[in-house]
Amino acid sequence: MTASAVACTVKSPVALQIGDVQSDTSRPGVYVIDVTFPQGQVVKIRDVSFKNYYTGFLTVRLQMKGSACQEGSVKWVTCLRNHRLMPNPHTEEGSQDYFSVYGHQMLVEPDNVTAVRLILRQPSSSWLNFTLEEIKIHQCVNDDSEREVPVWFSELTPVDQVPDLQGLPDPQAVASSIQQMWALTEVMQTSQTAVPIGRFDVDGCYDVNLLSYT
Amino acid sequence: MAEKRRSGVSMAEPKIAKADSEEEFLSQLGVAALLRGSLLKLVEARPEDPIGFLADHFANLASGSEAADCGDAEPSRTVQDRLSQALWNLNLAHHSQRSAFNNNVRVAYELLMTGGQHLCPGGGVRGRIYTELLRSLCTEAGLSSSTSAPLLRRIQCQDHEAVPFELFRQGVLICTVFADYVRKSQSLYLAVCGGSEVPAQRALCQAALGALRDALDTTQCADTARYLEASAKIAPCTLAQAMVSAQSSYEAQAGASMDPEEFEKEAVALFTARIQPVS
Repeated sequence: MTASAVACTVKSPVALQIGDVQSDTSRPGVYVIDVTFPQGQVVKIRDVSFKNYYTGFLTVRLQMKGSACQEGSVKWVTCLRNHRLMPNPHTEEGSQDYFSVYGHQMLVEPDNVTAVRLILRQPSSSWLNFTLEEIKIHQCVNDDSEREVPVWFSELTPVDQVPDLQGLPDPQAVASSIQQMWALTEVMQTSQTAVPIGRFDVDGCYDVNLLSYT
Repeated sequence: MAEKRRSGVSMAEPKIAKADSEEEFLSQLGVAALLRGSLLKLVEARPEDPIGFLADHFANLASGSEAADCGDAEPSRTVQDRLSQALWNLNLAHHSQRSAFNNNVRVAYELLMTGGQHLCPGGGVRGRIYTELLRSLCTEAGLSSSTSAPLLRRIQCQDHEAVPFELFRQGVLICTVFADYVRKSQSLYLAVCGGSEVPAQRALCQAALGALRDALDTTQCADTARYLEASAKIAPCTLAQAMVSAQSSYEAQAGASMDPEEFEKEAVALFTARIQPVS
């Protein structure tokens, strides 16, 4: 199954903090990143991949389109709760690693997803800033049609069973000669230029206007 | 002691003077360049008979300088000389040694163009000389005139036409490749015979030629795919299968055989069908 990154819009992180954003001097500890799909596209997610930047914990919520009879019903479901990205939030380990969160790791099967919300938490005050970068969402693509394999492809490896060669010429010798003849013909064909000798060119003396005067 | 020293110095001087005059003498003649050129040609051509090769090389140089000295000699004789010299140059390198071969073609072209400029206003080798050269190439390579006739019909030029360099090079390359091709087809016939004196079975010959035709007719797609596909068609196992099925066919049971001339003619037809005629 091939996965392809779905085009999505990643909104800039929104800080959640108590108090006024401008006046409060303390740095926020929670960011929320929303990822939406264009034109209300519904996606079956295979995995969400991203590059960490000093985020300690990640919670993922999915907005799922209700498959029930109620049309247009969407609900938010938590599929990953407090997933630890950094073993020790105060230290560097895992701070700039690449992560992938797969569908089977999630609490809910990520079918019919219309939006993804990533909630980032960093309890440590050591870091000035934290976020997730290069967020990509890959969807499952079912490749039903096999790519067309040419007929000769299966003939590239020699057949195991050797046919009965009684009284027949040696195929190696015959093949070798034929291959060299083929190569020589190819050399001739590739060296052909389109340079004309101008045999059928006339230098303008058969111009229609002039002909009418002769 | 002073006398001895003086005599020593005076003895040394004549020796130095003599050596100078020898060096001067050699450099005046330009022998260094001459020898260097001949050695380079020798290394490029690697002939079986190096002395004969060097003799030919110096003879060509001599006739070239003679022609320059005596101005315009009889045109026909000089043309014949130039033709044989051009042929000699072209036989120096095999067509697979691409850069050496191209150099030799350029030299031959220059040779055949000189003196013909007043005859050929378009610039280039005269058609008659070009056709003559191609015919000589084929006969020198050991091909009979009947074998090379269909090839020459396609690539020869009219007497009055002016052959540009690209066309000249292409024609010469085709002739040399054709000579190799005919030799290979003869060895293919021997291989199909299986080394026996009896002429090869018609069905087997047809199978071999059919495989070659298939490989050459591979559709024009990307180069690598085309080569892979063609090579799969002429792999030993594929050919073994083809020959086994050919042998069990009706023609083989009828005992028909193909003689070498017919085989060669069919192989040549395969080759010449793919040559673009000159226009």
